[in-house]
Amino acid sequence: MNNYHSTSNFNTTISRLRDLLNEYRGRPLDENLSEKIENAFLDLEAGIAGQGAEITKPSENTEQQKERRKFERRNKDKIVDAIGIGLCLLNKDLKVTWANQTLCDWLNLKDSPVGNTCHDIYHCDEIGTAVCPAVNVFNGNVSNIIETWIESKNRKKMCVHHVAMPILDADRYINEALILTIDATESEKTVHRLLLLQRLGQAMQGILHLDKLLHLILTCVTSGYAFGFNRALLFLINKELNVLNGKLAVGPSSHEEAHQIWKDISNKYGSLKDILDKLDYSHNIDTPLNTMTKLMVYSLSDTKEVVILCAKEKKPIIIKEAHNDPRVTEEFRKALRVDEFVCVPLIAKNKPIGVIVADNAYTGEPISEDYVNILTMFANQAALAIENAGTYKRLEDKINQLTETQQRLIRSEKMAAIGSMLSYIAHEIRNPLVTIGGFAKTLSRFTFTDSKITTNIDIIIEEVKRLEKILNNITDFAKPSTLEKVDMQICEVMENTCILMENYFQEKNIKLHKEFETDVPSISIDPAQIKQVFLNILINAVEAMPDGGDLNISIKSGIESIEIDITDSGKSIPQDLLQNIFDPFFTTKPNGTGVGLSVSLKIIENHGGNIAVESKHGKGTRMSLILPIK
Amino acid sequence: MTTILLVEDDKNQRLLYEQELSLEGYEVVTASNGREALEKVQVQLPDIVIMDINMPKMDGIEAIGKILSKNKEIPVIINTAYSNYKDNYMSWAADAYIVKSSDLSELKDTIKKVLANRAEDS
Repeated sequence: MNNYHSTSNFNTTISRLRDLLNEYRGRPLDENLSEKIENAFLDLEAGIAGQGAEITKPSENTEQQKERRKFERRNKDKIVDAIGIGLCLLNKDLKVTWANQTLCDWLNLKDSPVGNTCHDIYHCDEIGTAVCPAVNVFNGNVSNIIETWIESKNRKKMCVHHVAMPILDADRYINEALILTIDATESEKTVHRLLLLQRLGQAMQGILHLDKLLHLILTCVTSGYAFGFNRALLFLINKELNVLNGKLAVGPSSHEEAHQIWKDISNKYGSLKDILDKLDYSHNIDTPLNTMTKLMVYSLSDTKEVVILCAKEKKPIIIKEAHNDPRVTEEFRKALRVDEFVCVPLIAKNKPIGVIVADNAYTGEPISEDYVNILTMFANQAALAIENAGTYKRLEDKINQLTETQQRLIRSEKMAAIGSMLSYIAHEIRNPLVTIGGFAKTLSRFTFTDSKITTNIDIIIEEVKRLEKILNNITDFAKPSTLEKVDMQICEVMENTCILMENYFQEKNIKLHKEFETDVPSISIDPAQIKQVFLNILINAVEAMPDGGDLNISIKSGIESIEIDITDSGKSIPQDLLQNIFDPFFTTKPNGTGVGLSVSLKIIENHGGNIAVESKHGKGTRMSLILPIK
Repeated sequence: MTTILLVEDDKNQRLLYEQELSLEGYEVVTASNGREALEKVQVQLPDIVIMDINMPKMDGIEAIGKILSKNKEIPVIINTAYSNYKDNYMSWAADAYIVKSSDLSELKDTIKKVLANRAEDS
């Protein structure tokens, strides 16, 4: 009867354990572990069933029974240890009555914990309070779960979850509590890293200063709090030069330095806030590692370099044996001086913008794939932040440029004001000077008996000359510049002029036909003046076609010159007037000034070219502009 | 005798040019602004016009335009205190552009040159 009860008790315990495990599913806990526990408990169940059967055998003598029990217990202990969770039985006084080896190892206990109070072995502050799982269970409530960090026998930092379950005696009275301690380090670390990643991402997106951002990124990669790599190097793609260029490195440069500052660095940043607050991006600038990194430049076409490969394939690359890996060039290996490192691409908007290289040069800790995965996710966020900062910087540059231009404009306006004032004064003075000097010169031609008069007249003439010289200097300063030649495509100027006149053409019902050669070379011209010429000629052409018509513009280049032909289908110019059309102030239009064509010719002549005109009755007029290539 | 129409608003300067150019053997007719110059041209066609630009009533540029549109064969020399009218397309119609100086030799030389060119052309 008694045996039956105890077996049933164990069964209850087991089913409760199972319930609890079910409850655990879905929470951050390793699935494999749950399964392992489940299996172990199945074994335990079988063992207990066996024991129950043994005990009911009355024929066995006590010695044999003792031996057998000892053997069974050892087996059970093994099973219990294989479960991979810490187990401990507490009595009502919260004193340990039994604990398994796993728990003793985890809690780093030298002596048997049996007889100690739970506080002494768990070092927990919740004892006796409502959040203590054991207290809850003894009060008949459902156990809660508490989480603590411990340091195990082999100095491993672990995150463990404690949960209690009641052990009932024959009278269904809660006699003991079983404390289960579950290792949640891995899942906890993952959660922690994901959280960190999210927070880092947020923090990074808020930093628009590129240098500061790069520093934050590498500090995160190397700080013990985040990724804990020993060293990190950051490369960015320079699109203009088509290279991958080392930008920044964080981490000690030598073993000595590492030993010296390693502790500082790993302890320095305890939290994200610390990283952001204490981020000091001046002390790292002059390290040999940073200087070396900045000198590292690789052409983007050089796919033999592992960093280029990483950027091109947009995938992380883990190098385990650099000296045996064909992807690592000797130069790169010698620069890093490590056998194991990881390259992670920085990808923004699906395009590579750079690469982060990280290693554990001083601790030699192997780089796990898990870390690389998280680092890759981090790199994606970092890349976006870099892209943002880059855009911001470009914007800032543009604004600076704009401010500068504005200031230049103000300056030039001031100059113009000074210029016009100077010019006014200069001319006002020049006129009387001309009269004074001129008359003095007239006087000097007369002969005077008193030589003093001749000398004095000469003095007046000389002084007037001196003043005129000064005025010339001033007016030259005030004089606006004349031709401003730049190398330009003549088709482009014509195109711009046509765009300007588009509406006018439409309004006048003019059909425009353009025939531009594609390989017309650029020539040195003043675009504003040439545009003026085109405008004048096009307006004349349109005015020759009051009822609409066809306007043909062709541009072709010869060996020495470019020919621009503008042909209209309007009324022609009478032959007797053709020779006059380039004369200044000659016009046939009622409101014309007669300046347009003469000015146009002057401009083209100033450019070393010429204008020819051909007009036939009923066929319209063709203006041919020739501009030298030279 | 070669007739010069001198257009100049400054009274003393007008006197200076008149004296100096007369000494060179020219017959000098004067006008103190553009409008007066047009009237003088209608009365007697000069062989050459020396034109100041900055003048009251009608400036030299406008006067040149009006004179040349009727009598485009008359040579014109611009004689001004301003150098920047050189950039004005309208001034390009003139045969020469001189910046005023107390040394009148440039003006005298230019008159000779322009008249000689015209004589060659015709």
